[in-house]
Amino acid sequence: MDDSLLAVKGVSKTFGGVVHALDDISLAARRNEIVGIVGENGAGKSTLMKILVGVYPPDKGELYHKGEKVPFPRDPKEAAKRGISIVYQEKGVIPWLKVYQFLFLGHEDKYVKFSKLQTDKMKKQAADILEELHVKCDAEVFMHELPLSTQKMVEIARAILSVRLESGEDGTTPIIILDEPTGPLNDEERRELFSDLLEMKKNASFFFISHIIPEVREFTDRVHVLRDGKLVANYDFSEEKIEEEDLFRAIVGRESSEYISKVEIKGLASKTVALTAKDLTKKGHYYDITFDLHEGECVGIFGPAGSGKSQIIRTIAGIMSFEKGELVVNGQKLKASELPYVRLKKGIGYFSGETGKELFLNWPILKNISFVNMQKILGKFMPVINFNAERKMAQRIVQLLRIRTPSVNTDCYSLSGGNKQKVSVGKWVERKPDILLLDDPTIGIDVGAREDIYEVLSEMKKSGICMILVSDDPKEYSILCDRIMFVMDGRIQKVLSPDEFRKVVGI
Amino acid sequence: MKRSTGNRLIPAVIVRTLKEQPVIIALIAVFVLFSILFPDRFLSFLNFKTILRQFITLTLFAIGPSIVVVTGSLDLSYVGIWMLGGILVWLCMPVFGLLSIFVILLLGVTTGFVIGVIQTKAKIPSFILTLSLLVTYWGLTALLSGGYPRPVRGYGFITTRLIPYIPTTLLWSIPIIAAAIFIMKCTKIGTYLYAIGSNEEGAQLAGINVDKYKILAFTLSGLFTGIGSMILFQHLGGSTPVELNLNTVVWPLVAIVLGGTPLMGGSGGPQRTILGAFTFCVFYRGVYISPLHPYSVQLLVGLLLIVSIIVSARGLKSVTIT
Amino acid sequence: MTTRPGLSREWLRKNMTTVGPIVFVIAVEVVFQMINPFFLKYQGIISLIYSMSYFLVAACGLTFVIMTGSFDFSVPSLLKLSALLCVLYIEDLGLWVIPLALLVCVGFGFINGLFLAKFNVPSFMATLGVSIVVEGIARYLSKGFLQIMDDKAFRSLSTTFIAGLPSVFYWGMGIWLISIFLALRTPFGRRTYAVGGNLIGAALSDTNVARHRIYVFMLSGFLSGLAGVLYMAQMGGGSVEMGADMAIPLFASVVAGGTALTGGVGGPHRTLLGVIIITWIQAGMNMLAIGRDIQMLTFGLIAIGMSIATIDRKRKIIK
Repeated sequence: MDDSLLAVKGVSKTFGGVVHALDDISLAARRNEIVGIVGENGAGKSTLMKILVGVYPPDKGELYHKGEKVPFPRDPKEAAKRGISIVYQEKGVIPWLKVYQFLFLGHEDKYVKFSKLQTDKMKKQAADILEELHVKCDAEVFMHELPLSTQKMVEIARAILSVRLESGEDGTTPIIILDEPTGPLNDEERRELFSDLLEMKKNASFFFISHIIPEVREFTDRVHVLRDGKLVANYDFSEEKIEEEDLFRAIVGRESSEYISKVEIKGLASKTVALTAKDLTKKGHYYDITFDLHEGECVGIFGPAGSGKSQIIRTIAGIMSFEKGELVVNGQKLKASELPYVRLKKGIGYFSGETGKELFLNWPILKNISFVNMQKILGKFMPVINFNAERKMAQRIVQLLRIRTPSVNTDCYSLSGGNKQKVSVGKWVERKPDILLLDDPTIGIDVGAREDIYEVLSEMKKSGICMILVSDDPKEYSILCDRIMFVMDGRIQKVLSPDEFRKVVGI
Repeated sequence: MKRSTGNRLIPAVIVRTLKEQPVIIALIAVFVLFSILFPDRFLSFLNFKTILRQFITLTLFAIGPSIVVVTGSLDLSYVGIWMLGGILVWLCMPVFGLLSIFVILLLGVTTGFVIGVIQTKAKIPSFILTLSLLVTYWGLTALLSGGYPRPVRGYGFITTRLIPYIPTTLLWSIPIIAAAIFIMKCTKIGTYLYAIGSNEEGAQLAGINVDKYKILAFTLSGLFTGIGSMILFQHLGGSTPVELNLNTVVWPLVAIVLGGTPLMGGSGGPQRTILGAFTFCVFYRGVYISPLHPYSVQLLVGLLLIVSIIVSARGLKSVTIT
Repeated sequence: MTTRPGLSREWLRKNMTTVGPIVFVIAVEVVFQMINPFFLKYQGIISLIYSMSYFLVAACGLTFVIMTGSFDFSVPSLLKLSALLCVLYIEDLGLWVIPLALLVCVGFGFINGLFLAKFNVPSFMATLGVSIVVEGIARYLSKGFLQIMDDKAFRSLSTTFIAGLPSVFYWGMGIWLISIFLALRTPFGRRTYAVGGNLIGAALSDTNVARHRIYVFMLSGFLSGLAGVLYMAQMGGGSVEMGADMAIPLFASVVAGGTALTGGVGGPHRTLLGVIIITWIQAGMNMLAIGRDIQMLTFGLIAIGMSIATIDRKRKIIK
């Protein structure tokens, strides 16, 4: 590791003494290379990077800069002095600043003369730097006037510049961390960004965090795979040829069986079609999505993050609109952009596992359950809520889902993550929509609660409700789904049976 | 660097300026319209003098709050500072003599600072906070004055004519306006305030102490309102009213929004507010001398506010549910 | 045995926004009663009722708006407009002037809601703009003169005595009870809390958020209009200057009751306490010949203080 520019050895980090966010990680970046760091959500990528820029201190581990041992930085400024800077996934761009203002943001002190900013000097230096780094833009336009990929490039230029300004010597090769830089970009902008990045490699080294496999394989020199806080694989693309599927398996696969679910239900699908999607397209997100959803069937849309799977399910829920194609539910053609409440009236329910997204946390359980089931608890003659019926409904759901709570009047704030999730599912159990969309239904909850939720969902399936599942956890697909559509780059690649699916992901 | 102005009829600089500041078109339109409609009364020396006088008043009130609006908050306390300050001057007169005018300045800065601290720490919407404070100051004014305006003599020198035909208050306000524009356009502080208004989270990520600069924005607003009120105190007759007039509160807001500073912050600023204030005054005088009923003027002002808000809010994203 | 004080402290902390106002009301009552023994005698009560009832009606409307996390600045102006419409056109239209006034106010409420829901104008600014327009109309219609109302039938709306109390009291109480019913027992109320409590959650259920916001502003407009009608009936006259300084006391009474500016908590049932606090302070101060100046000062401070006390600091503010 002599030629390494920056190396970490044996870094570990725990949160609250329990969760192992990072476990004995060692990796390095050499001069002028792009090092990919891939893994699923929660694999520890972000934690590692935050340690490198001084947001968190590590529990254990060593940092080497140009072969010399140095202490870990304590804040971003100190990290910049060591040559490390980060470009955040989103929210980093300040749209109403001009490019040169943005480049020097936070470093103005070096350009102040009699408390006036030397704008001419700043503009000239900005133009020089943009030219040196091959960023094709004018230093005097507003950030929001630039295309998204150029905005990203300016952000990267800003990171390099901050290293130069802080470390004071131009000789240091900056190490720039790119946290999922291609998130908001479409295909074309992605290509643009990467061709620019390859140019920029001459001036800097990059840690490239991503979970989009094709781009990692194509543009990085080496890749480290993180899973559950551990370094599980290292690939060097200059030495060996790696297939996308190998990489994919390394990212999602789990060696040990954490749990084997008791509930496995399959083959209940009848022939009645509940939902048909035909050539559904939204440019930059997904293309030509065609499938049928039968009554009592669960279809999984599987693929790595960034493949367009979440966008597809959100389109069906009414959160996004589609551009081409058609969507038919129960023989009724849907408009391209309808709000979720319209879709719900037509029988499509949307359940997201993201905590607090659809729950009203300051409400008691019973109100949360009854909110989408208003029709059932209104009086016969007047649209008045019948508190008794409301409480009974909630009690039934609480019992059915084994929600651990002193009473149905407990505020959802005080429930544990798993129980919150159960309340969320509970209201859909009661509502019984024709189609239930599951967007990561069990993210971040414990095994027991998961099993309970799977059980309930399978009960719902038996009663004829069909579902579409999107998840980060491949196990979930094999438990719930009758068919799994494998999506990559926004297109359906193949349709797998659960058995085939298990073989592909190796579980 | 591409500059293709070549065979255009209108130079690109002008096109760009007009695109960025559509209020100029409105100003020209309003001016031409009233000049054609009422050539005698509108194009008179007296009318211009009145417009100028009103313009000064409006600008001095609006310049401070426009700094706060750039950061995406709202400061309505200006009229309160002016009213309470006037009474405090009267109270301090026997003790400090002519120096007591600086009490307004002190009040302005303190008020701005306090608002900033409460707003950043307690996270109350700034409009409610400053509105409540405005009413509190109004009550305090009425209380301290005993219910009557209290004229103070001795500050006539502020408005003594130095150059013929040009009101001295205008001369006073030029450096103030220049200072505000300088701070917002040419210093680090200004850049940070624009950054905060444009993307608060991004500014935080860039290592800016957002709370500190927000407090600074309110303090600056208080400072400029304080200085402005010192001049306005004499400009508007050497005393301040004890009754709150909604118009004095709303007109500077109209000037800010009309000038093109969106209420969500991030762009605009004092230099635009001046244009907005001028346009507003021309418009107001035009309507005022028209045969329209004087009471319908207010109606038109309200419509103007609504229209300019909608125009400045245009292009905002609707409530996103993702 | 050590848990008991801890428990009661916990209970107190949780219910502070309920206990606080009640304690405050009692304290205000006791103080004024000590200063002036007639404060809660029959005469005192009648005058309290007169100043409380129409105010309560308007405050209920504002409460609904604040519950959704928005703000309605136009309540006092609409109150004024509706009162002036009544007094100006009663001779031409008779009692039909009441539905006319209410309709106009609902219309302006609709415009308020439209600006927020469709044009994304922050509600504070939109309603401020609308209130200036309304103010202009009121000024234009009344020509700035004091208008006197002498229609017996109209005035009996507020001033008929039933069981020893003026009818405006029953109006106020009736509207208050209906508001509570609306907020707590109907889907409309649930949706109002939902929009203020978790906008995304509401949008993901079967709530049409945009339409609901418009409804809430229309309700607020309607109640402001009704308050104006009652006000005119009890006062028997007024000019364009009336209601000029009502905005802050109204707002103060809503937050003093415990409805937070962030939306989603509180409700009309709490607003009664806030209204009692504000109007009693007002009445008490009037009784002590304390001028409007100190009253304004007090209400401004109450407004700031209660906003700070009730606001949920973890949440982002929707203007």
